[in-house]
Amino acid sequence: MPVEGLVAIGAGLAVGLAGIGAGLGEQAIGAAAVGAMAEDPEFFGKGLLMTVIPETIVIFGLVVAFLLMFI
Amino acid sequence: MALLRRISTKPAEWAYIVARVRVMSRKLIPREDYNKLLNMDIHEIARYLEESEYKREIDELAYKYSGMDLVDYALSLNLSRTYSKLIRISKGVPRQLIVQYLRRYDFWNLKNIIRGKMFGFPREEVEATLVIAGEYDEQFYRALMAKETIEDIVKTFEGKPFYPILDKLVKACPLAEFEDELDKFYYQSLTSISPETIDMKYFLEFIRMEIDIKNIKTILRLKTEGAEMDEIVPKIVPGGYQLKEDVARRLAAMELDELMKSLEGFWFHEAIKDVLREPLSRIEVYFDRMWAQKVVSKSHHFPLSILPVLSYMLLKKIEVDNLRILARGKAEGLPTEAIKEQLVIV
Repeated sequence: MPVEGLVAIGAGLAVGLAGIGAGLGEQAIGAAAVGAMAEDPEFFGKGLLMTVIPETIVIFGLVVAFLLMFI
Repeated sequence: MALLRRISTKPAEWAYIVARVRVMSRKLIPREDYNKLLNMDIHEIARYLEESEYKREIDELAYKYSGMDLVDYALSLNLSRTYSKLIRISKGVPRQLIVQYLRRYDFWNLKNIIRGKMFGFPREEVEATLVIAGEYDEQFYRALMAKETIEDIVKTFEGKPFYPILDKLVKACPLAEFEDELDKFYYQSLTSISPETIDMKYFLEFIRMEIDIKNIKTILRLKTEGAEMDEIVPKIVPGGYQLKEDVARRLAAMELDELMKSLEGFWFHEAIKDVLREPLSRIEVYFDRMWAQKVVSKSHHFPLSILPVLSYMLLKKIEVDNLRILARGKAEGLPTEAIKEQLVIV
């Protein structure tokens, strides 16, 4: 298999696995945020902020994928 | 596959219900407000409730009742609705455990209906005591209250696991004994749950500790009244955490002073170590307060478990009881200090 193919698989794994990890992390935070908001809508801002924090992991995965593909 | 399901759903189902009860707990009456409430009369208390989480119930019932009756009905209705809401908004293991815990209100309601029927209390009075949060709904209880005799009420439960206890009541079993048997049945059905998961373990530990508190209060109350060991032992609920049946039996055989000293070493001793000479009613309040504090503190240690939910349910019940004591005390014209002594302020 040419090296470009392996790099593409690596890049895909970097984004994909990071996405799964972030999803697992977000499920409890998201559920808690929705729960808190259902009782008191004032929690919307805090809930949203907390829910997106694990998204940063996907950004790291994306950066790794870019590094693999273009550098 | 099971592991995947565990990873994918378990934290979410706990996080959702725990977040909701945490927000609901913030809406409980703050401890500072009890001082304000103590200086109010019954109508002011009703008005205070109208501006709180009890607004809906007070508004709904105000056209029909006033004063103590209004507060009484509104508190029961609010408690029923709060507990039913917890069942509605939970799913999976949390829901199972909440439903199991709330079955106590099925027995509570049944006891009240039978007691009402036996002593001929007006139907409205019995209805005010019902907390519709367990297996059966309002219509079921209305139909039950409409039955002519206790035998008819008992027949409704034919085939249920607790039917033999009810059947015994019809065959001239004393009411107190029947009520103790139902309590025992309820706690036995809970403690027989096998602690397969950590969630079940926390739940069982809570129930066992609750049994301890119930048993020690029973022993102290009966001892103060001068009851003998033979009278106390049948009232002990088996399955306690530290206060197992044999230990409870040993305590029941002691004199009151000796018994108080022997409580050292039990987890609930810290509640009463400085108040051993106070009257029993005060000691019971200390037990309740310490129990609630213990559950609240445990719920902080294990946040993604049933404990925050149980802690909320306990605090809500304490709040309703406190408001009822306050309202009734004020309606009867009791001195503020006497009312304050009966409040469990956590």
